[in-house]
Amino acid sequence: MKRRDFFKTSIVASATLLGNSAFAGITEQPNDTQNILNISFPEKRPLITYSDRPPLLETPRDGFTTAITPNNEFFVRWHMPRIPTHTDIEDFSISVNGLVDNHIFVSLENLKNNYEQVELTAVLQCGGNSRSAFKPQTSGIQWGSGAMGCASWKGVRLKDILKKAGLKRGAKWITLNGSDTAAFNKTPNFARELELHEIKDDVIIAYEMNGEDLPFLNGYPVRLIIPGAYSDSWVKMLDNITVTSEYQEIFFMDVAYRIPDNECECETEDNPAPKSKPITTMNVKSIIGYPTRETLINVNSNVVLKGVAFDSGHGIKEVLISSDDGQTWEKSELQKELSLHSFREFRYRFRPKQKGSLTLMAKAINNLGEEQPFAHEIQWNHGGYKYNGIDSVTIEVV
Amino acid sequence: MKNILLLLLLSLTSLNAEYTKKVQLPHISFGIKIDKDFGVMQRNCQWCHSFGYVTNQGKQSREFWHNIVLKMRNVYKAPINLKDEVSATEYLFRNYGNGKLK
Repeated sequence: MKRRDFFKTSIVASATLLGNSAFAGITEQPNDTQNILNISFPEKRPLITYSDRPPLLETPRDGFTTAITPNNEFFVRWHMPRIPTHTDIEDFSISVNGLVDNHIFVSLENLKNNYEQVELTAVLQCGGNSRSAFKPQTSGIQWGSGAMGCASWKGVRLKDILKKAGLKRGAKWITLNGSDTAAFNKTPNFARELELHEIKDDVIIAYEMNGEDLPFLNGYPVRLIIPGAYSDSWVKMLDNITVTSEYQEIFFMDVAYRIPDNECECETEDNPAPKSKPITTMNVKSIIGYPTRETLINVNSNVVLKGVAFDSGHGIKEVLISSDDGQTWEKSELQKELSLHSFREFRYRFRPKQKGSLTLMAKAINNLGEEQPFAHEIQWNHGGYKYNGIDSVTIEVV
Repeated sequence: MKNILLLLLLSLTSLNAEYTKKVQLPHISFGIKIDKDFGVMQRNCQWCHSFGYVTNQGKQSREFWHNIVLKMRNVYKAPINLKDEVSATEYLFRNYGNGKLK
């Protein structure tokens, strides 16, 4: 994605200076010891809870054994404290305005009946997922590995709606905003901006998630879906689309959710990267959903390890499993590919021969040949974004 | 983790939504350290977010916390006055600090 670089004016210092210079900390496995709160949020089962206002909920590890994440386990991340709950759905509409021939208001009914309906399956992941792995600890919510999920989304192409409104000459940028608001008027909106060319056929405005209305906490009544992109671009409770010729400055795109603009996308506290870029597309990643930490397994029993892998849409080629700290790897069995953008389930059958602790690791490789690095090889960035280290789970064989 | 989240369920509030679905968000009290500057935290932070945000940052340097307070004022436009800026930074470093200035 091409977006105005906030640090445009800074010196174009050589990114290679940073290279692989000494780092202050060694990245570890993300936190895997959080408690599940025994209070449920609407339409959710009890989840790992970091905040109630705005709500921040994480899916526990055992939610990642299947390609589709159930709606009631799906993670939740809002930025603004005021999330409207008063919408009368008959009155709800998305306003499409700015450089358009017709300022239109698209109601939910209109969306469902007057446009071609599109259904696709895609992973939604927070750019800060697994942030707790970074050392030194960065600011931001210290997510474990569960700020992600995969769902089947049904809705209408953003393109089709823009076409209906009709773009005027000079139209170039699309600003998308939701109905959540801040406590103070001057707080920046959590809006996103897309350049027209970024709006591909699979960018949709979805009203359905896994065959049901979107859960309130996942953006009811409609949210933006951008397969392959991190969730900071998937605007929830979308109610306004403004078309402009010029890029509008938005804090959450210009300052937050950015990574170093150098080859390793890395920096140190003492040597911050002079240039930055938006986090945009996801890297290859996998997680073991079963067994989980400290699961007790009987020696010589047959066990099926299960997990999910994904990338930004190139597709998963294979997922390898190691039980000797990554010295040797064996192929897992990949399950059906629901789509290039969805979680790909993997399974690995084994029989532990010895009592004691056993560490299992999973490493995904995508169709481009990109593979996950070891956790300790992940290099630091100040926002703690894009961690994709090889996952590791230690169980007890008894 | 032990000194982080003291979770107390205060109440379940109905938001009387005209939603097609019933929406009730639980209120959770995320416990933080209480000392002489607790009031500064109460009056400045909770407009926008729960204390869960505070306790989730781990032990950090004085500079880290000062930058967080400045970010809340400069970026998110929280009306934190100069006196509270100092008190909040001191509070955070005193209770959630790692002993390092930078």
